[in-house]
Amino acid sequence: MKYIPVIGLEIHAELLTSSKVFCGCANEFGGRENSRVCSVCMAMPGTIPVLNKNAVTLAVRAGISVDCTINNYSAFDRKNYFYPDSPKAYQITQFEYPICTNGHIDVAGKKIRINRIHIEEDAGKLIHDEDVSMVDYNRCGVPLIEIVTEPDFGTIEEVQSFVEEIALRLKYAGVCDVRMEQGSMRVDVNVSIMPEGDSELGTRAEIKNLNSIRSIRRAIEYEIKRQSELLDIGERVIQETRRFDDSNNTTSSLRSKEVSNDYRYFPEPDVPPILISEDEIEKIRESMPEMPQERLIKYTKEYGLPEDDAKLIIANKALSDFYDETVEIHNNYKSVCNIILVELLRNMNEASTSVEEFIFSPNDLAKLVKMSDDGIVSKNAAKDILKIMFVEGKKPMDIAKEKKLIMNSNEEEIESIIDNIISKNPKSVQSYKDGKDRVFGFFMGEIMKAAGKGVNPKLAKDLLKEKLK
Amino acid sequence: MSIMKLRKQLDYKEIGALELTKKYLDRIDKVDKQINSYITVSKEEAILSAIRAQEMIDSGKSMPLTGIPISIKDNICTMDVRTTCASKMLENFTPIYDATVISKLKQQGAIILGKTNMDEFAMGNTSQTSYFGCVKNPYNTKYVAGGSSGGAAASVSADLCMAALGTDTGGSLRQPASFCGVTGIKPTYGAVSRYGLIALASSFDQIGVIGKSAIDTGYVLNAISGYDKNDATISRQQFGDVNSFVGEDISNLKIGVVKEFFSDEIDEDVKDSVMGAVKFYESIGCEIVEVSMPSFEYALSAYYIISSAEASSNLSRYDGIRYGYQSKNGDSFNDNIITTRNEGFGDDVKRRILLGNYALSKEYYDTYYKNATRICTQIKREYDKIFSECDIIITPTAPTAAYKIENGQKDIVKTYNGDICTVTVNIAGLPAISTTCGYTKDNMPIGMSIVGKAFDEKVIINAAYIFEKEFKRQEVVI
Repeated sequence: MKYIPVIGLEIHAELLTSSKVFCGCANEFGGRENSRVCSVCMAMPGTIPVLNKNAVTLAVRAGISVDCTINNYSAFDRKNYFYPDSPKAYQITQFEYPICTNGHIDVAGKKIRINRIHIEEDAGKLIHDEDVSMVDYNRCGVPLIEIVTEPDFGTIEEVQSFVEEIALRLKYAGVCDVRMEQGSMRVDVNVSIMPEGDSELGTRAEIKNLNSIRSIRRAIEYEIKRQSELLDIGERVIQETRRFDDSNNTTSSLRSKEVSNDYRYFPEPDVPPILISEDEIEKIRESMPEMPQERLIKYTKEYGLPEDDAKLIIANKALSDFYDETVEIHNNYKSVCNIILVELLRNMNEASTSVEEFIFSPNDLAKLVKMSDDGIVSKNAAKDILKIMFVEGKKPMDIAKEKKLIMNSNEEEIESIIDNIISKNPKSVQSYKDGKDRVFGFFMGEIMKAAGKGVNPKLAKDLLKEKLK
Repeated sequence: MSIMKLRKQLDYKEIGALELTKKYLDRIDKVDKQINSYITVSKEEAILSAIRAQEMIDSGKSMPLTGIPISIKDNICTMDVRTTCASKMLENFTPIYDATVISKLKQQGAIILGKTNMDEFAMGNTSQTSYFGCVKNPYNTKYVAGGSSGGAAASVSADLCMAALGTDTGGSLRQPASFCGVTGIKPTYGAVSRYGLIALASSFDQIGVIGKSAIDTGYVLNAISGYDKNDATISRQQFGDVNSFVGEDISNLKIGVVKEFFSDEIDEDVKDSVMGAVKFYESIGCEIVEVSMPSFEYALSAYYIISSAEASSNLSRYDGIRYGYQSKNGDSFNDNIITTRNEGFGDDVKRRILLGNYALSKEYYDTYYKNATRICTQIKREYDKIFSECDIIITPTAPTAAYKIENGQKDIVKTYNGDICTVTVNIAGLPAISTTCGYTKDNMPIGMSIVGKAFDEKVIINAAYIFEKEFKRQEVVI
C-alpha cells in the first residue's frame, strides 16, 4: 500500500546567553567536567533559581524571527522525573503558558506552522565508563528554547528546508550558534504514516536528539520504511520514543510511551511568571537585525543577484554582513558577489578560516573590486592581490604597486601603440569601417601583443574606439 | 532580659560578648539534655564570632544584634556547620554556603549558638518526627514543644538563646511559639529571603523569628529582611524599621474576629483566653468587628494538598548522588535511589511525598491540585474582604495548648488538624505574630495570633507589644 508520511518537529536550541538560565555559571561548551557548576545548578539544598533575563530576550527574538505571537504572560512549570543528569529531579520548563505561540515559516511555498516556543533548562551529561557511570553537570542549567511545529511536513525535503531555514534565522537573530555537531541545536522528529486517501493520523514514533541534517533525513527515511512494513503485514505502530543509530541508519526503541511517564507537572513556585509588555516586545523587535528572508529579497530584487548566489552568501551571516558592508562602499553588486563566492570562499576553504578571522576590511575588498572594475589591475591580478590580502592583510593598492600589477594607463604611450597598429593594418581598418565589428578584437589583440599584459584594457578599448571612428 | 537591655549592657561593657556567649553555651550544656532543642551546638564558631563581636563593640561599631546569641532552625543553611533538617537523609550534610539570613546576622555580629531541632524536613507540628529525638516543652518536659520549629521555640523559652530563627510553612513557627509561651512572628511572604532555607513548600515557606517579646522579634526581623537577588520571590517593598510603631496609640484600630476560627474544634480554654485578649483591646478603645471566612473549612485540605505536592518535588533531589545519605543497597540507579530514600526518610516525610505525588498525578491533578489552588485564591479574596473591614484580626494560634508527648502523632489526621488556625495566613502570604495570652489549668501556655495586612508587620508588632506590656507571663523554671 502507499502511505503518506506526516512529520512534526521539536527543536531544542541552546541560547547564546553568557550565563546559565537560573544561576551565574558560564554558559559555554566543553571544558573540564563539572568545572562550571555552583550550588544552584547542582541543586544544593536551600538554593533558589533566579531567571536570567537575557534568556527571555533571546526567546522573544526567536519568536519574532518566526512570526510568533509573543505572550505578555508566560510561566514556568516543574517537570518531575528521576534521572542522574537532573540534580533537582525536575526540569524547569514552560508547560501551560509558553512565551511564544502561533508562528510559522514558509518553505518552498508551503506554510509550516509553529505551535509554540518555550524556555527550559538543559540537563547534565552522563559519561559511561566500563563499570561506572559518571555525570558532568556543566551543561546542567544551560538555557534552551524548544520550538514545536505542527505536523505539517509531508516530505523529508520540507523538513530539511525548514531546519536549514530556522537554523539560519536563529543564527541571524543571535539566539543560537546552531552548532549541531556540539549539540547546541538538536531535533526530535515525530513521524507517523497513513494510507493514501485517509485523513486520520497514524500512531507516531518520536526519534530523539538528531544532531545533523543527515541524521534527520536518514532517521525519517528509516522510520517511514519501518512503519510501512509494519502496516503492510497488518501490525500496528506503537507510540514510543526511539533512538537513531547513525552507524547503521536505523532507529530502535528507547521507551514506550504507552507505559508513559507521568511528569506530574505543576506551576514552579520559585520562579515568578514572566510579564512582558508590548513596549518591551516592540523594543526587542526594533533591535532585530535584517533577517535572512529579508536579505534574500534585497539581494535578488534590489541587487539583481541570482537566487542561488544570494542564498550562498546569506547562508553565512558573517559573510553576508561583510558583503553588505562592501557593497555599501563599492556598489557593483555582481562583481563583489563574484569575487566573494569564487575567490574569497576558495581562500577561506584553503586556509579553513572564518569571516571573523579576516585581517582585511570590507573597505579593502571594495577598493580591490573597484580597482579591477576600473581596469587599474587585471581580473587575474585581483585574484593574486586578494590572496596576499588574505594572508598578509596589506592594502590592495600597496600590493598592486609592490607586485607591479598596475596596468599601464599612460594615454600617450597607448595612443602611439594604437597609431602604429592602425597604420600597419589599413585593410583591417577598412573592414571595421565597413561594419565588421569582430575586427575590433583583432586590434585589441594586437595592442596587447605590442604592449604586453600590463596595459589597462579599459583605457585601450576606449582609445581604440576613438581612433577607429 | 530583652535584646535592648542586653544591647546596653554589651555597649556599656557591663558584660563582654564572649562572657555572654560562654554563659549561654554553658547553659545549653547543662539544660538542653532535658529539652533536646539543639541538634548541633556550634561552640567554636560561636566563640570566634563572640570575639569578633567584641571587636565591633570596642571600636564603637556595634549594630542592634552585635553579640546577641541566637539559635538557627536546622533547615537553614549555615556554611561549615552541618544542617540536617532533622533527617537521616542530611545527617552529615554540611552546606558550602550561608543562607541570606545567616549572612545578614553575621554581618551584624550576632552570635550563632547552634542549630535547633525540628520535625523532619519541617513536616509536622510536634517536633516528634525528628531523627534526633523529640523536643520537650520547657514548661513541662512531659509535653510536646510543638513544631516544626519546636527546637527554636523551646530554645527561646528555656533561655538557651536570646532569639531564634524558625520557619513557618503552615504555622510551624507560630504554633511552637504558642506552645512554649514565647512570641513568634511569621513575616509577609517575600519579606525575608528564602535563599538557603531548605524548602518544604516554596509557595508558603517563610523564615521568621521567635523571641521573648514582640519587640525582640522585631529587632531580629529588621536584621534579616529585605531584598535579595538570590530569591526571585522576594518583594522589593521596603517596610523600614518594624519596631517604629512600638508604643503608639492603637485605640483607633479596628480588630476583626473571624467567627470560623472559634468553632467547636477549638478547646474552650483556648477560646476563653483569646477572647479575653480581644476584650483587653476593646477595653483600651479598639473597635471589635465580627467578620467571616466562608472557605475556612476547606483551607486545611487545600494547604496539605499544595504543600505536599510542592514538598514531593522539592524533596526529589535527595537521591544520595551528590550529597546526603546514600544506601549501600540497590544495584541500578533506580534501585539505589529507592533504597536511599526509603532508608533516609522518616514515615511522615514518605507519607507526604506519596500524598503530593498522588495529588499531582495526571489522573488526580484537576480533582486535587487544581481545586486546591482555587480554594487558595478564594481564601485570598476573603482575606481582602476581611481587611477592608478591619486593620488586624485576632485568632487562636492553635486549637489546643501543648499536649502530652504520648498523645502526639497518634492520629495523623488529627495531628494535621492542629494547623487549622494557622494555614490560611500562609495561603494568603500575610504576616502574623503569636504571643501568649493565657494558660491552661495544667499551666501550659495558650497563644493568640494577630494577623495583619501584607507588609503591616509594624502594626501587628505594636499590637502584640501593647498586649505583652499588660500581660503577666509565667516564667519557665528549668
